[in-house]
Amino acid sequence: MAENTQFSYGPETLAEVSSLSIRAIQLVEGLLSGHHRSPHKGSSVEFAEYKDYSPGDDIRHIDWKVVGKTDKYHVKQFEQSTNLKCTLLLDASGSMAYRSPDSKSPGMDKRDYARTLVAAMGYLLLKQFDAVGLTLFNDEVVSHLPPRSKPSHFQNILHGLQDMEFKGVTRVEEVVGDLIERLPGRGMLILVSDLLTREDDIFKTLKMLKSRGLEVILFHVLHPDEVNLPFEGDLVFESLEDDPPLGLDPFDVRQHYQKAIQEQIEFYTKNCPTLGIDYLFLETTTPLEQALRYYLLRRKSLRKI
Amino acid sequence: MNFSFTSPWYLLGLIGLALPILIHLLTRRQQTRLKFSAVYLLQQAQKRSVRKSRPNKLLLLLLRCLAIGFLCLALANPLLSSGGLENVLTSRPSAHVFILDDSYSMSAASDPGTLFDRATETLAELIEKLPGNHSFSILLASDPARMIQDWTDDPGKALKWLKAAQPSHRTTSIGKAVTGAVELLNAAPQENKRMFILTDRDQNGWDRDEFPTAFVKDARTQIKIIDFSGYQKGLNRALVQRVKLKQEFLTNRRIIRVQATIANLLPDRAIMQLPVTLFVNGKRQSESTIDLPARGESTHEFAFPLLNNDPVSGHVEIQEDALMADNRRLFVYQPDRKIKVLVVDGDPRGVAHQHDSFYVEKALNPFSSPMADIEPSVSTLSEFSQRDLKQYSVIILCNVRDLAIGLEQELEKFVLRGGALFIGLGDQVDPKYYNEKLGMLLPVTLKSINQVRTEDKPFHLLTQPSEHPVLKVFTGNMLKEMARIPFRTLYTIESRRGRPFEQPMRFTNRFPALIESKFGEGKVILFVSSLDRDWNNFPIHPTFLPWIQRWVKYSAQSLENISRHDVTVGAPLVLEEMEQPPLVRSPGGKISVARKNPQSPPVFEDTHRPGVYELYQWTGTPAAGAAADSPSPEPKQLPADARRMGSFTVNFDPAESVPGKVPVKELSPYFPGAQVDYSPADQALNAASVGAGVPLTTLLFLMLAVMIFWEGWIVRKE
Repeated sequence: MAENTQFSYGPETLAEVSSLSIRAIQLVEGLLSGHHRSPHKGSSVEFAEYKDYSPGDDIRHIDWKVVGKTDKYHVKQFEQSTNLKCTLLLDASGSMAYRSPDSKSPGMDKRDYARTLVAAMGYLLLKQFDAVGLTLFNDEVVSHLPPRSKPSHFQNILHGLQDMEFKGVTRVEEVVGDLIERLPGRGMLILVSDLLTREDDIFKTLKMLKSRGLEVILFHVLHPDEVNLPFEGDLVFESLEDDPPLGLDPFDVRQHYQKAIQEQIEFYTKNCPTLGIDYLFLETTTPLEQALRYYLLRRKSLRKI
Repeated sequence: MNFSFTSPWYLLGLIGLALPILIHLLTRRQQTRLKFSAVYLLQQAQKRSVRKSRPNKLLLLLLRCLAIGFLCLALANPLLSSGGLENVLTSRPSAHVFILDDSYSMSAASDPGTLFDRATETLAELIEKLPGNHSFSILLASDPARMIQDWTDDPGKALKWLKAAQPSHRTTSIGKAVTGAVELLNAAPQENKRMFILTDRDQNGWDRDEFPTAFVKDARTQIKIIDFSGYQKGLNRALVQRVKLKQEFLTNRRIIRVQATIANLLPDRAIMQLPVTLFVNGKRQSESTIDLPARGESTHEFAFPLLNNDPVSGHVEIQEDALMADNRRLFVYQPDRKIKVLVVDGDPRGVAHQHDSFYVEKALNPFSSPMADIEPSVSTLSEFSQRDLKQYSVIILCNVRDLAIGLEQELEKFVLRGGALFIGLGDQVDPKYYNEKLGMLLPVTLKSINQVRTEDKPFHLLTQPSEHPVLKVFTGNMLKEMARIPFRTLYTIESRRGRPFEQPMRFTNRFPALIESKFGEGKVILFVSSLDRDWNNFPIHPTFLPWIQRWVKYSAQSLENISRHDVTVGAPLVLEEMEQPPLVRSPGGKISVARKNPQSPPVFEDTHRPGVYELYQWTGTPAAGAAADSPSPEPKQLPADARRMGSFTVNFDPAESVPGKVPVKELSPYFPGAQVDYSPADQALNAASVGAGVPLTTLLFLMLAVMIFWEGWIVRKE
């Protein structure tokens, strides 16, 4: 599937893929055109600094102008800039399929939001000639597209996103354990998840990823319902994952629930920067441009892109 | 405990209980289900949250059901009664034994009538309500318990008896009645057996030893105790505990003294100024008031002159309280014309004036006149054991060496019952015998003979005016003459530890001359010298005659006092041995003959009524009209030859007056293994009548309001 470039989907699927594609492309183009022109057009060698010549250094890199002016041998050093290998890791567990019971709820569905975000990120990266892969997971790796930098790879990503089903339980720790050998070293990992899991050690997993030299960006996506618990009345909550049904009045638990969610968000907001992980909490009502803008600004400020 | 309903049709409203159940079921279906992602977080939040605003459906259901239930029950107007008679009215054949407490404590005042009246009314009501296939028996619980109605299913006779029944004058013995009832029930063929005890729970009647230990064969036997003590109007405050009479001979006018002991039955309150009245021969003789400490007693002494020697009967009465029976105590008294004195001569001689008793006898009746107040008779030591001591008021021992074996006990009994013992010493006296055998009577021991030689100065009495009733008349010249009397020999004495005595007379050297002590009801007087001229010249001195006479009169009590009888109701009177058992005339005029026993004294047992009983001697020949062929004819009227020989009183047993009740919670242990049900009489009566009981309507409406308020609060909270 990863390498399949021949599409054999029906018109509806194609239409959906197309709309996802259009959404992602519009998003990225609009964002880029409004701000700056991309300076990254495949340059592979970039001047870094001078150093004193020492025997063994390639004499091609001696800056003769400097020798002429100062009579000292300085060697130009260049930073080797390879194509970035980025893996988009999307949580495909059941909790990501949450839909608000209120049809007038603003914003996108959580899963559409997440998929659009991933597609946009993929497009953005491919447009910068970076290699992009897509991995879907719940309690195991559901599908894995290795990073490719060909522009046509965007179609594979789109189809991977379109074909996915949100089901099962989130098991970040186990999945990353399985995946870590397959991830490119010193690449980038963009994790999109609602982080709604009973696991305690997600942060440890992130730390492990970071220790492998991966640049990690964590997009924490939640629906406003999941943050605010705005429901009323006598309800039986049926889990989208594997929790047993729970009957209660949300009024009773709202305060504690909101506190728990806020604590979770605050935890990642506070601790991710300490590991050098970029963390961004996104409610599905948050415009996706904001997420991408954040990403670009963040990269820019770090001079990584 | 049972319910009855005045408007039972409203109970149909209980069908309405289906309504809240329906609501509960319907609202359950409307519960919304929602697919949600963070259920585990909700679970954690729920654990931390103390708020439970989600309505507790089951609690709401319960409250609504209760509200409807209370409403229906309240409209049905329920009546609660405990100890009801519902079991009695079952259609199954049953055997019932009714124990009716007819002790005199049941005659306590109620409103109206007495407790016994209420008990008989209740019992009549119970018997009337018994279905035809129920049989019953009635036992009376006054001592001795007895059956008045054997097994029957016809209430007519029993109802007739109950209508005329009166409480007895006896004490209670519930235990004996229960024993009888158990025997009756064990013999009854019916499967259902019940015992009803209608009582005032007077503590006196509940002696655990009298109750049967092996109770009933059938554990299904039910015992229902119906308590009438709640009906008592007022308190039984006090009772006349006892009355004592004594005759005073010492004064010129003969006086009867009546000592009435009144007891306060209130445990926590003194009674002040309680009126006490003395009635003599049917007339109010004297009246006074008395103060009684809480749960204590006080004695008041009345005195009235004796005008003639006719028998005196009367009673002491206190102000009325709840129980009248114990407010009056009867007495009867036969005054003596003469004081009979037995002078025992311990050293009789051939010449009369040398007898030790010579001077004493002469002093007591100088002219041997049959009209004299004192009638002395002299006895030798050998004759002494033959004498009936009860015939005498005073016994004077003159120089008696010792007494025959067993006579000292007779003397002790004599003094205990009120007799007086005057002991004069002399050379014959064996001090060892006196010290060892008469230790109970004498508060001192004889130490040694103290004799002065002829040339030495003799002992003299220390004479000074005295307040002693005997000695106060000796004044002036009489004292001076007494002071001159020489005493050459006397006994020195030593007091026994813990035995009090008085020394009305002493010698100038402070030696006691005469000591006086009390023993039981009587007195013991010891003169340390002789009553003849062996050791002193006192007997030939003019003051000896009034001196000895006054001591005799002072110490004597009447014969009637010694021999009189006062028995409690129901107790048998043991009479003296006589050839023909005496006739007894009861207070109601009934004549009966004391029962003659082959080897023991005759006994009169029919003492079930308080009052004065007259005793008559007769020859055994019945009056005209009596059955001649009867071996022991019971005369209907006094025979012509009947001669009054005395009287005795029958009084209430004060034990029954003690107001303590057996605590309700301690009733069950009296009936081990049986099902005991206690109920106050008012509830038992109410349960017996339809429509009576404690109405619960108000309570139920209150409960309904509480339910509605509670339910509203929960719903509002939701």
